[in-house]
Amino acid sequence: MNLVLKSWGAYVRATKRWPIIATIVPFIPVVALWSVVANSGMFPRAFFPAPVDVARTFFALMYKGILPDYLQDSLIRLLTGAAIGVVLGIPLGLLIGSSKWAHRACWPILLFFQAIGDIAWLPILLIWFGFGLTTMTFVIVYTVLFPIVLNTVLGVESVHRDLARAAQSLGASRMRVLWEVTLPGALPNIITGLRNGLGYGWRALIAVEIIVGTSGIGFMMFDARRAGSTVEIILGMIVLGILWYIVDAWILAPIERATGQRWGLVTSS
Amino acid sequence: MKTLSLKNLQKTYFDPYAGSQVTAVHDVSLDVEQGEFVSVVGPSGCGKTTILNMIAGFIPYSGGEILLDGIAVNGPGPDRGVVFQSFALFPWKTVLDNVSFGPKIRGVPKAERDRIAREYLELAGLSHAADRYPNELSGGMQQRVGVVRALANNPAVLLMDEPFASVDAQTRMTLQEELTRIWQQRKPTVIFITHDVPEAVFLANRVVVLSKGRVLDQIKVDLPRPRVWDDLMQDETFKRLSSQVLQMVRSA
Repeated sequence: MNLVLKSWGAYVRATKRWPIIATIVPFIPVVALWSVVANSGMFPRAFFPAPVDVARTFFALMYKGILPDYLQDSLIRLLTGAAIGVVLGIPLGLLIGSSKWAHRACWPILLFFQAIGDIAWLPILLIWFGFGLTTMTFVIVYTVLFPIVLNTVLGVESVHRDLARAAQSLGASRMRVLWEVTLPGALPNIITGLRNGLGYGWRALIAVEIIVGTSGIGFMMFDARRAGSTVEIILGMIVLGILWYIVDAWILAPIERATGQRWGLVTSS
Repeated sequence: MKTLSLKNLQKTYFDPYAGSQVTAVHDVSLDVEQGEFVSVVGPSGCGKTTILNMIAGFIPYSGGEILLDGIAVNGPGPDRGVVFQSFALFPWKTVLDNVSFGPKIRGVPKAERDRIAREYLELAGLSHAADRYPNELSGGMQQRVGVVRALANNPAVLLMDEPFASVDAQTRMTLQEELTRIWQQRKPTVIFITHDVPEAVFLANRVVVLSKGRVLDQIKVDLPRPRVWDDLMQDETFKRLSSQVLQMVRSA
């Protein structure tokens, strides 16, 4: 009993020092179970590969340079799309959020187009732009744009009216109010929008790569299906999960903490 | 010398749900001397906050005139500092950056505006909190910041809209005493909106009683300063003035 408590204490202290441990440890039983099932001979190995097989393929593809190349392609596509989405989405959200008339005119249209899912655009985009980068970028921008716009509008509307009035009666012009009050006030929501947008964009990207791609993680997985390589498909799935975890936990979540929680706009859990 | 002058001020607005015009302020005329502290009291719905918002330039007026040093008021501006019931501090700025915001907008260099802000923070006994964020302060401290933020911008008139209504009773009395002290030191022109009659009498040189969008009466308050609650609570003149104003407000 004492030993159990002691090792539990050691674990808690270790996770405090190296938070990564808390992320990895829950996966140990999952991978172990997977390993046991794969090695039990219940399914043929070519049909249901074991963790070691996937690991071996990972190193092989890394060594050949295929995986790094594909990863780079996917990430650049996502970042390009996200950057365009941010550049379009934040100003649009600020406009719709701060003008009653723009809000009335745009909101229903926005909801209508949001309802047409990203993938639903693919058939017409393939006719218009063909199987290429334009189609992929369009879909990602489209996916990223809506969460950013909608959350920015929400953020602008959540800024207390008295804050803008206070700034104005301290001498701030309308542009200055936008910069000093509206934007920082909406920032926690904008970051939430960005976080959601990137999440959706990442999924949309994989879907588009499966249909349109000539490279990228999505393409790798679909290409592997053609060759019947379950190892590569599973490897692709794992890479997707790990990559998103890294982006979310190491980049997006810290930004969110640094803004909203510091100012007391978001209550920390 | 009069600083602020309201002439036959009127406010009507269209209520889209009722489909008709509503009059919030019928006809208000009022002159405020430079360095005067005027309290405006009245039952809720008497139009006192609407008047303040028109002076501040937050909402347009429908008739009459608002003149500040002879010039018609049009939109918000730094010559009219405002202290809000909601405090309205910028949560993403430190206390120091909140107070130096007005000078910053005016283009005062950083070293100079920080010096100004620190001077005003000291006036309100807040020097120790300069680097804290508003959400780390109590309500009373937040409103002290709100007051000096407006003062640090050196407005021609300070507009206060029920500024102490959302703090607890003990803190409110302390804030009232501090406000009279700061007023005596700096002599800003103040318009103080409240529904709390003793508060109005305690602070002001003159109390204006509003009713249904009109000025019902005005009462001079010649109590000696500095004013502290321990003295005034027993003071016969204070009690008489308070009950006089209270009766007017209740009959309004």
